Amino acid sequence: MACGSTSLWAGETSWFCCGNSWGPCGSAGGGACGNCQSSAHHGAWPNASAACFSITRPDLCGENIPRRGCGSVMNVRHQCSGATVCITITDCGPRTKDWCGEATCCNGACRTNRVLDLTPAAFSAIGNLSSGKLPVYIYE
Amino acid sequence: MNARNTTGVPSEGMRRRRFLTAAALGGATIVGASALGGLDADAAFAAEPSLDPAIARSSFVEGRITGITGSVLEVAGSSGGHARVQMTNVTSVWKVRPTTADVIEVGDGLYARGVPMPDGTVAADAVWVNIVNLDTTIRGIAKNRVHLAHGQHEVVGNILADTGASYAGRGLTSDLSRLRIGQSAQVLGAWRPSDDSVDVVRISVGH
Repeated sequence: MACGSTSLWAGETSWFCCGNSWGPCGSAGGGACGNCQSSAHHGAWPNASAACFSITRPDLCGENIPRRGCGSVMNVRHQCSGATVCITITDCGPRTKDWCGEATCCNGACRTNRVLDLTPAAFSAIGNLSSGKLPVYIYE
Repeated sequence: MNARNTTGVPSEGMRRRRFLTAAALGGATIVGASALGGLDADAAFAAEPSLDPAIARSSFVEGRITGITGSVLEVAGSSGGHARVQMTNVTSVWKVRPTTADVIEVGDGLYARGVPMPDGTVAADAVWVNIVNLDTTIRGIAKNRVHLAHGQHEVVGNILADTGASYAGRGLTSDLSRLRIGQSAQVLGAWRPSDDSVDVVRISVGH
């Protein structure tokens, strides 16, 4: 499935590790879909399933995020640089409810609430891992 | 001063300074990079378009460093395979904080972003050494460390002089006194291969 250009959502993205890795990430496993890999352009979506949604609860932050299950493809674009990466959903996350109201800004414009997690490969394609979070637009 | 802004976009000043700064590794210039339009790797990264991480030829390397030969890092991938990462005059290095390549050691974990070169190496735009960003729960708090649960595993987090905390989405502070046992916490830090602990750069706790 190809990455599209229809607007889906906007918000913060963080990054996480999964699959074979080193250090504390070595025990992370393949994620909710079983095939998540840190070195691939993968991501975690807070409404990957009903069970996932019950954990992440983005609705508690006012984010009525639609269901997109394992294998869904999204285009993620850095709000300011325009750098884009095409990802496949392979996990559930982030726990949006824990970070209601958190904002990440660039050039004076902010995105609020964590709505996406990216693998290191995907996150580093549009920003720097040491920043931890990025403001992004998401397309499908 | 850190020349990168909080969103991770390299500033123009940083780009220019990278280009003008003497090579951290003493002449790591790669000549004949036809994949970069005939430019050498240093010059290519210094040019405006090549710093865009979205360039089609961008490569990603993940794994443990098994050897350092001059300015080349030998990397064993966690899923198998082997990669060679070429450090250049303009490679940015992060290990706990922005630093230089001389702090990189065999045994370190690594993520690198760069451009594939004709000789099979990846000329690095940026390398992040031992960096982790962990979804944890706080299990214990001591003067100089926090005990964290990460999945089914315990991780010891070392508190540094410049460790920062963020509470409920607010800005970063040096005040760690509001950390509480049982809180969910996202920990951005650097893994220590020697004892498997993590140096905590930033700890963010939610609601």
